[in-house]
Amino acid sequence: MKELQNKAAELLENGTINLLIGFCEDGSKRAVPCFIETAAEANTLVFNQDCKNNLSVYLHKKEVKDAVKIGLVANVATLRSVLQLLSENQLWSLTLTYLTVNGAGELVVLSSAEELEGYVQANFPTCRPEDQEMLDKLNAMSREERWAFWKDQLSECVKCYACRAVCPMCYCTVCTTECNQPQWIKTSAETSGNFEYHTMRAMHLAGRCINCGECGRICPAGIPVHLLTAQMNQEIEQEFGGKTGWSLKGGYALNSFKPGDKENFIK
Amino acid sequence: MAETFEPKIVAFVCNWCTYAGADLAGTSRTKYATNVRIIRFPCTGRIDFMLLIKAFQNGADGIIVSGCHPNDCHYTSGNFHARRRWMVFKSLLDFMGFPTDRITFSWVSAAEGKKWADLVNETTESVRALGPFTDYKNLDFTQFNQIDHEGIAEQSR
Repeated sequence: MKELQNKAAELLENGTINLLIGFCEDGSKRAVPCFIETAAEANTLVFNQDCKNNLSVYLHKKEVKDAVKIGLVANVATLRSVLQLLSENQLWSLTLTYLTVNGAGELVVLSSAEELEGYVQANFPTCRPEDQEMLDKLNAMSREERWAFWKDQLSECVKCYACRAVCPMCYCTVCTTECNQPQWIKTSAETSGNFEYHTMRAMHLAGRCINCGECGRICPAGIPVHLLTAQMNQEIEQEFGGKTGWSLKGGYALNSFKPGDKENFIK
Repeated sequence: MAETFEPKIVAFVCNWCTYAGADLAGTSRTKYATNVRIIRFPCTGRIDFMLLIKAFQNGADGIIVSGCHPNDCHYTSGNFHARRRWMVFKSLLDFMGFPTDRITFSWVSAAEGKKWADLVNETTESVRALGPFTDYKNLDFTQFNQIDHEGIAEQSR
């Protein structure tokens, strides 16, 4: 911890970064995101098991982008999302420095996109076991059971769009949900509209989601929405190959094709 | 009043192949089921998955999505992109428990008028066997649907 604070202070001091996005503790000792601009504030930084937020989502904000030279305290999932964003030609206007702690508990500082790529590939996260368990359970169900499951879950959705706000991959300036000519997504929180919204979200993230699970963690109604994108990820990996957030030249599965793609479902 | 169920089929077709194929079926005076409503698109690559959802929501019982055979796309690769999207969309719907057997994907070229007629007939029959699509309607106002409308009408007389 001390090491992280010292390094952050040093980077801010010598002007390598103008802004550090990291975690500090709030009044009730909970780790919350914080933005640090001076070396003096660096001693409030923490990084522990509670630091789950994917901070890369802030990199799309104009106020943050204005700092240009930005440090990011990140876990592997966050680093993976930055890598995916870079492969989608985002964030290249920024000079990013990443501070992370590796499996052995040592501080790692990555200062280039290539270093980031190497680190992510060496420490590539796998699907969380609890998610895999749920996916297997759902896939073993009959179609009707799955429909009943999602109907039950999605009827709880209040369309707060927290899952969209928290997602680093949802960076479109105008989202289909806001489009009202035509009204693609019903504005009221009724179940059929919720189905529309979540189908749309999963489709737009298919082949791009890096499986950080933030959408499911953040949902105030406790809907496991991250399972939709996690399932899509696995399908796409199986069918088309390639992992999301794996390299700087990732490519987007739905933006490319192979003449020999599966078509046993087409008459 | 017992009405026989006539399925509503919406067909999303591309302008260059399947629409021309359907045209050929017409000019050849091939008879096929009248349940289909054809919507013409510039290319299968233009067919947004949201349109399929909207069709189901607005009362379609079945959907046909059809375009040029691989390598025949007027825009070179529209159908290849569409094919990937359909695959992903189909597996997503399946994962959400949506009855994907109500969506038929097909390649019909401009010369395949007969194939088009057969496709429409087969789809109509299979959807007829599946019955009306009520899953979407049942998502909302489930309790409202259970209200005894006739009883209320009777009382108000």
